[in-house]
Amino acid sequence: MKSSITLLNKTYQFRDLKDILAKANEEKSGDQLAGIAANDAQERLAARHLLSELTLSDIRNNPVLPPEEDEVSRLIEESINEKIYQSIANWTVSELRETLLSDNTTNIEISRIRRGLTSEMAAAAAKIMSNLDLIQAASKIEVVTQCNYPIGHKGTLAGRAQPNHPTDSIQGIKASLYEALSYGIGDAVIGINPVIDTAESVKQILQMTREEIDRFQIPTQNCVLAHVTTQMRAIKNGAPSDLLFQSLTGTEAGNKAFGISIDLLNEANELIQKEGTSHGPNLWYFETGQGSELSSDAHHDIDQVTLESRCYGLAKKYKPFIVNTVVGFIGPEYLYNSKQVIRAGLEDHFMGKLQGIPMGVDVCYTNHMKADQNDMENLAILLGSAGVNFLIGVPMADDCMLNYQSTSFHDIASVRSVLGLRPAPYFEKWLEKLGIFENGRLTERAGDPTIFI
Amino acid sequence: MKEKQIELIVQKVMEQLQAKFPSENRVDPVDKGLIFTERDWETSIPKPAFQEGAADLTASTPARIGVWRTGTRPLTKTMLKLQFDHAAAIDAVGGEVLENYLQEFELFTVETCYENKEVYLKRPDKGRVLTDAAVQTIKERCQHRPQAQIVVSDGLSASAVETNLKDVYPALLDSLKLSNLTCGTPFFVKGGRVACMDHIGEILEPEVLVLLIGERPGLVSASSMSAYMCYRPRKGIVESDRNVISNIHPLGTPPVEAGAHIGTVLQKMLEQKTSGVKLEL
Amino acid sequence: MSTVVIKSVGIDIGTSTSKFMMSELTLGRVSSNFSLPQFDIIQRKVTYVSEIISTPLKNEEEIDLPLLVSWLEKEYQQVGLTLSDIKSGAVIITGETAIKKNADALIHYLAERSGDFVVAIAGASLEAVLAGKGSGAARHSQSSRAAIANIDIGGGTANVVVFQQGKVLETITFHVGGRLIEMNSLGEVLTVSPSLKPWLFFKKFQVEKGMRLSLPKLVEITSALCGDLLDVLAGGKSISSLECLVHSTSCPALPRIHEVMVSGGVGRLAVEEPPATLEDVAKFNDIGPLLASELMKAVKRYHFTVVEAAQTSSATVIGAGTQTTKLSGATILIQPELLPLRNVPVVKAALTEMDFEEQIEQVFLKGKEWFEGNDHLPFAIGLGGTLYLSYVKLKEVADIIGELYAMNFPLAEVLAVVCENDMAKALGQALRLQTNYQVICIDQIGIEHGDYIDIGAPLNDELVPVVVKTLAFS
Repeated sequence: MKSSITLLNKTYQFRDLKDILAKANEEKSGDQLAGIAANDAQERLAARHLLSELTLSDIRNNPVLPPEEDEVSRLIEESINEKIYQSIANWTVSELRETLLSDNTTNIEISRIRRGLTSEMAAAAAKIMSNLDLIQAASKIEVVTQCNYPIGHKGTLAGRAQPNHPTDSIQGIKASLYEALSYGIGDAVIGINPVIDTAESVKQILQMTREEIDRFQIPTQNCVLAHVTTQMRAIKNGAPSDLLFQSLTGTEAGNKAFGISIDLLNEANELIQKEGTSHGPNLWYFETGQGSELSSDAHHDIDQVTLESRCYGLAKKYKPFIVNTVVGFIGPEYLYNSKQVIRAGLEDHFMGKLQGIPMGVDVCYTNHMKADQNDMENLAILLGSAGVNFLIGVPMADDCMLNYQSTSFHDIASVRSVLGLRPAPYFEKWLEKLGIFENGRLTERAGDPTIFI
Repeated sequence: MKEKQIELIVQKVMEQLQAKFPSENRVDPVDKGLIFTERDWETSIPKPAFQEGAADLTASTPARIGVWRTGTRPLTKTMLKLQFDHAAAIDAVGGEVLENYLQEFELFTVETCYENKEVYLKRPDKGRVLTDAAVQTIKERCQHRPQAQIVVSDGLSASAVETNLKDVYPALLDSLKLSNLTCGTPFFVKGGRVACMDHIGEILEPEVLVLLIGERPGLVSASSMSAYMCYRPRKGIVESDRNVISNIHPLGTPPVEAGAHIGTVLQKMLEQKTSGVKLEL
Repeated sequence: MSTVVIKSVGIDIGTSTSKFMMSELTLGRVSSNFSLPQFDIIQRKVTYVSEIISTPLKNEEEIDLPLLVSWLEKEYQQVGLTLSDIKSGAVIITGETAIKKNADALIHYLAERSGDFVVAIAGASLEAVLAGKGSGAARHSQSSRAAIANIDIGGGTANVVVFQQGKVLETITFHVGGRLIEMNSLGEVLTVSPSLKPWLFFKKFQVEKGMRLSLPKLVEITSALCGDLLDVLAGGKSISSLECLVHSTSCPALPRIHEVMVSGGVGRLAVEEPPATLEDVAKFNDIGPLLASELMKAVKRYHFTVVEAAQTSSATVIGAGTQTTKLSGATILIQPELLPLRNVPVVKAALTEMDFEEQIEQVFLKGKEWFEGNDHLPFAIGLGGTLYLSYVKLKEVADIIGELYAMNFPLAEVLAVVCENDMAKALGQALRLQTNYQVICIDQIGIEHGDYIDIGAPLNDELVPVVVKTLAFS
């Protein structure tokens, strides 16, 4: 594998593939914190040039984290279709980019190519793509999944209702849920982040959401985003859960810090297949986000884009219903400002979609980042154009429990309206029956949560 | 505030009366400027399907619901209020605790290696280590090996310290007194991260240490404080070895109650000789 | 501790029947590990409901205590309960039994022999609320816009509570009950309750002991009784125009009611075949079956939607067993050796911007007048008001309380404070440091002037069970 490149008389030498991948990244404070970022703008471009000329086999043959040392690497390596891989092994990363963007490459071709790709190859392509490249390529890909009801169709944009409450008050959660539904949000999932991570509390919230779904015949699915082991206990105690949730990282060590392993996920998978309340076939909800490996010192000097891509490689095994990157939650030490958040959001969405993941994005930021609501609105529109499966809906974008800002019910309704996107098909019919939605638009009745009391 | 609101109402009534009965020698009301209180920001659903239920819904959660819309967008006041709350959070991150405020509590100031706000935000590792000068100062001025050591830090919100310390700190001192614990020499750390506890632990070797530190500001409160507690803090301590009470501010965990409770937690740490997840509370 | 299950019993001694129930209350931490420890009752499970027995009476005026106690002992034995297993519960004397001669003595006697923290409760309004919670009306209202009235009719009274969205709006109690007229199968009147007489007089009904009433006459009387009750609920007649039928009410006029649920002994009879003959009517030697059938007939003439009760005759006892115990708030200050405390009267002051010292002084003077005899602990001080107190202010409050308490109650040794706001631990420690009293200071309990409070033995060092009783015992 080539490891040096000369651009106009100046030679740049890189240590290994890991080094090239890291330095080819757009500027991210997380890579700087890890001490693996390019030293200057020209070195960044040198790495990118070099990366674009490497072949897919170079990437496979030089694992950033050897399969012998890491179960996530093993899983990604084992999932490759050798025949398809052989047919593209000699492509350079540049050729991969150009193929993905070519008019002749449709969703069907991409579905074939994906079987021969590793997560690192997907990340490599993202690194040499501009923001609009990422949007253009992702917009071709359709990933439809089904839990109780299907979402992800082209021309649709779903929303997760995230009616969190700072003390898990059932009444309070219900109130925000009604507000979400009244704006036509909740087709992806009704998903609550609990404050109290106990099986009893999780069960209570699941029961309430199940009752509401039954009462109003809402074509959606429920989930409580506690640690997977807590959800498992709740389900074993009879809690009605359609989906299992878990946060993932891209390394075995990172997952260990999150209290999970592939063995545990397999066990959980068996449980949700047997004792979940949905027929599926897609019964998982995963969340990811650039920087989580570094935050638990489990990054092995690999850059955060590559690690993020590996999360999707891991997620794929469990055929998830939805996956979203919580793009700006982690803080300025990983993504310093809105420019970095917007870039990361587009990268994650593209890398996920390329690997066949039903990607959503939590377009968000914390108050110590250099970003504001305008930046989120920008990114939401960009992702809507890129064909994101779903966005997160929080009352006025302000999550009063997690203390960060995401996108609002209003924002999702606006993105749909501006880009001509519709809610998920069954959900739209339901909204029409309720009189909230008509001809692809909100009606006069919309925005009034008291219609659900 | 109430007086001002009454003035505003009187002014409005006057205006209406004048519109109804225009008089030639009418005097323009004095321009008092606009006054916004929490209530003035409220927007509501014009014709809710269930009027009585609307108030119950909004009362059940601090989330911004029942705010209504124009087209798909929020009303102006709702939007400006969100931006206003964000502005308070931004200012809390960028702010500094005034020196004379700290003197009220006889706290002297030392710094971590954070250099400046931008580095502080990008390099959490630097906020975990005290400068050489700081190490020297606390070695000279602080009691070595105290039973309980109190440290205060601005962290991510200077206004958290200014809002809450006056209630948390004396309540904490009384709770130590009631638990018969003795306290070392308290001080303030500028640019601190939670794990600066470990470095201080190495230097002063307290039995238990409590760090009162400003939290990442949220929109509900930009002035929220956390109390981190640890038994024999030292390098290599992991997060699960610490206990924390978070969300301390007048509308969250009451500062006086948090202060009073810290003494109980520290006493349990001393009894059980451990802290974090192993501590039985 | 993340959850703990405690056993709670309910005992309902009614005018005509008595019941016993056992439940398991699951207490769980409802705050995260990053907050102050806060607990709440997260599940209430009824595990046993006894057979309904006739309340044993010595004569018309007096309950047969030994017989009642032996029944209760048998019930305890049957479910394998020992007194120390029972951590909470309530004994309630309902309907007219409460005005029987030995009711007060009985209720305390039973409470003290039913478990560590089984408390005695009474009062028509409380009874109505408990029945409405036990019957399922409160729960039903949570998922409906409608205001629902639960009408719990037993032997002596009809206790009505109106819920909307799970919240109590009002309560009203009528002198309407199945046992107010006792009769035999020939229609011969055995007794007429004094509480029904004013209404009978008002309606010009002639009913005296020894008279024989025909079935049509009985239908006329019971139908009129139900009609008047429903007229008041529907707003057709004012409460004041039917004073003779109303035992007590929380309001001068009721809110608009959309739905009704019927519970209690009469509620149970309401789902049975209506009585066709005098013999059917007098099945229990009273007018209960007829009252039930007339009520169901009459209610059809109103706009009310009838919702079926989940529990009928056991509604009150289930409410008493599962709904009376509350838990103190996050972080309190207690000296465990002082607990449990039973039947402590509450005097209340509000923390406002106004002169606090003057307020406390006035409240103490009132307390002195009423409760001077209780020298060890004259009363508990309730602190209401929503004012946020700084620690400086809180210490001032502690000083004022300490000084005025010492001045007015020189023999007192214990200071008990019940705060509505979350401030008990801070206030408690200030009281400990600034006074010489033994201190119980708990919070997040709603209390009113004139309430009585029971504080149980601690469940852990930050948690006590509490029962607030809104009716004063003589």
